[in-house]
Amino acid sequence: MAAPLLDTLDTQLIDLLSRDARVSNRKIAAELGVTEGTVRGRIKRLQQDGLIAFTAITGFEMGKRARLAFINVQADVDKVREVARTIADLPQVNAVLITMGQFNITAMCLVDELDALVEIASDQILTINGVHHVETSIAVKTIKYNARMAKITRPAEVVDED
Amino acid sequence: MRLTSRGPMRKPAGLTYAGQMPGPMTQSFSYDATDLNIVEQLRLNGRANNQQIAETLGLTATTVSNRIKRMEDANQLRVVAVSDFSAHGFNVLLRISVEVDGRPASDVAHELGALPEVVAVHIVTGRYDIDMLVALHDFEDLAHFLLDRLSDIHGIRSLTPAIVVDICSYQFDVAPIEAKE
Repeated sequence: MAAPLLDTLDTQLIDLLSRDARVSNRKIAAELGVTEGTVRGRIKRLQQDGLIAFTAITGFEMGKRARLAFINVQADVDKVREVARTIADLPQVNAVLITMGQFNITAMCLVDELDALVEIASDQILTINGVHHVETSIAVKTIKYNARMAKITRPAEVVDED
Repeated sequence: MRLTSRGPMRKPAGLTYAGQMPGPMTQSFSYDATDLNIVEQLRLNGRANNQQIAETLGLTATTVSNRIKRMEDANQLRVVAVSDFSAHGFNVLLRISVEVDGRPASDVAHELGALPEVVAVHIVTGRYDIDMLVALHDFEDLAHFLLDRLSDIHGIRSLTPAIVVDICSYQFDVAPIEAKE
């Protein structure tokens, strides 16, 4: 993970688009004092490099799954990557981190009730070959969270605009 | 909660959701299939213009525009660019579990949340009290974070770190949405 070379214009673009991605290239160009072509080219490059992705974030009133839960997993060291991929393929799991620490995998998911968490943790994850211990914890209150910063694991297919 | 066998998981005693972010219990915003279809299109391509979405879904551009505005005004939708941690120069990610002693966990959590290096803070059930995600430029920043930042916060009994070495998936398209400034 080498630090990418972003200049001031890239940073300004990211800042603008993280507030509202539906601003037109024309408006961005006018605001930043560059041409529309520059804006289009920069956005395309940032997307291709996997540095930004556009998405729609919905609030909790537009979906039921609202509670963030952590599933901390101890898996055999020689099977970590394999186990992590299997967990990442579960449709209910939003994020999978491989870590070095007390646990070697953390899965995060949004659940609407405890039963759903039990289902994922004990029925689906604990039964994976190589997993020997699972601990769960539920976020009862979120103090700080920034949905606009994430790990972009699959760079988007770039759709040409306009 | 700990699971070591296949047995059913016990619900922890005294678990309350007081102070929880608005959840299913406070459902007040009404939406229909058309709203969800528009959101789906925006998730595929947040930069698609109203006309393109309208054509895909067989709607008028005005309807698409009005529906998006209604969801945005109700703070139920944001179409945004999500940027990678590395775009901000954060090359070291740590997940740190915190045990609190002698102070309310929420007080400690708020102080932790005020630190710029801390990108996420949750009060959690289970073995620890607080779960946080810390983003640093490199490992040299760790000394400053530990010795100058965390040392000023009272009530931290223990810190259990996990170094994030790889992220296999990271997809959160549901999140608390703050009001527009």
